[in-house]
Amino acid sequence: MKSGFSNLRPALAMALAGLAIGARAAAPPPATDGEHVSAELISEHLALAPGQSQQLGLRLRHEPHWHTYWINPGDSGLPTTLTWTLPAGFKTADVAWPLPKRFDVGGLYNFGYDDETVLPIALSVPADAKPGSTAHLSVDAKWLVCREECIPGRKTLTLDLPVATATDAPKPDPRWTMQFSRARLAVPQANAWKSVTRTEGDRLVVTLRGPGLPDKADGLDAFVEERKLVDNKPPAISREGDALVVAFAKSEYFTTAPETFDLVLTQPSTAGLRGWRVRVPFAEAAP
Amino acid sequence: MENAMTFRFVMFAAALTIAAPVFARPVIGKAAPDFSVTDASGKTQSLSAYKGRTVVLEWNNPECPFVRKHYGARNMQAQQAEAAKEGIVWLTVNSGAPGKQGHLDAAAASAYVAKVGGNEAAYLLDADGTVGHAYDAKTTPHMFVIDKDGVLRYMGGIDSIASTDVEDIPKATQYVRQALAELAAGKPVSVPTSEPYGCSVKYGS
Repeated sequence: MKSGFSNLRPALAMALAGLAIGARAAAPPPATDGEHVSAELISEHLALAPGQSQQLGLRLRHEPHWHTYWINPGDSGLPTTLTWTLPAGFKTADVAWPLPKRFDVGGLYNFGYDDETVLPIALSVPADAKPGSTAHLSVDAKWLVCREECIPGRKTLTLDLPVATATDAPKPDPRWTMQFSRARLAVPQANAWKSVTRTEGDRLVVTLRGPGLPDKADGLDAFVEERKLVDNKPPAISREGDALVVAFAKSEYFTTAPETFDLVLTQPSTAGLRGWRVRVPFAEAAP
Repeated sequence: MENAMTFRFVMFAAALTIAAPVFARPVIGKAAPDFSVTDASGKTQSLSAYKGRTVVLEWNNPECPFVRKHYGARNMQAQQAEAAKEGIVWLTVNSGAPGKQGHLDAAAASAYVAKVGGNEAAYLLDADGTVGHAYDAKTTPHMFVIDKDGVLRYMGGIDSIASTDVEDIPKATQYVRQALAELAAGKPVSVPTSEPYGCSVKYGS
């Protein structure tokens, strides 16, 4: 029942990806609310189990050419924000941000999502949630949707879910099986890489080493979750022996180096984007 | 004499155009890039003409929700008026390319300023993006403060809360207002950079 979002077995992942692609080819173009994106609150399961962590999702369907934003939106834009109103004892984690795409907007860069995406959110159900009761979940979602022009959007989304009894484990909602399968593949994978960062003049250079590093630099892209650290242009990525080297231009708004920052690496694959997340220490004080 | 001046100006403008990508990174504490561009009234505006006065540059796109936030709440117009009272030159710049959202010609720019009650000294028409690229202006709004000696003292957002919500304005630190007050008091600018937030500047290709 515990739904770890980043440790799905590869074989299962591939099978699910195939399922996702097959279904996706037949899917009609997304319907939207007339504001270029439609937002829905969805639950992986039909009911809630006391004492468990379960997956919710903000399902965003964008009109062609429109996008919303990652936690770091890039040169412009705003990340989507969620403000929850939950029954007593219920808690939500932060969004487990899916791997971002890079959008080139006339030489400026934005990071985010187009087409259909699900922003996963883990919900903790309290152990004393009363079986048979109904939990009313409500979220105030705010986003900025852009093509070249941008339109702010806001919607209060609600979901009423029954609390299951201990003997009757909640079943997955068949409507959203594919969405949650795809969402699991779209979040960055954990890894055991060693990383180090150094500053070289106007550059910030990350060196990664360890098992399972991507073979080729081709098609790789890299992003930093924190703002004001690196320039938003694509970094230079190369393989140097057993290391993968990612060189960013420093942001012109760079002031002080944090102790660590979060690097996300993405690579296109036949199953869509795959990627990894690394917490990178800043080994030295930057000027 | 006048011909020589014109020639020199043309050469200068040409040099500026060519040099713009090289100087695409404005730096705090260094000379701000000079420019020469026509305003909505047809007058040529250059930074060097305002030596001895503090200058504010504001990137604008009338249809951008972030710009509308600050104009709708009259935050921008109020700060423009405060600056004018202090003898500060506030220049609003539109680097939107023709055919892109928010691009304005001279007549439309004048109508816009009248409609929103803008209090800027001039509204600059930078349709080819020369000034925008020289300052690496990324968003609307994106703000720059240049001191009396032509040195860049602030670049970044108008304030500290990145959102399109008018309710956030009173809660935010107004970085430009703060920088102008500190400069007027002879103090160093305490927040010289912040990451700008807004819509992307709609440059032409």
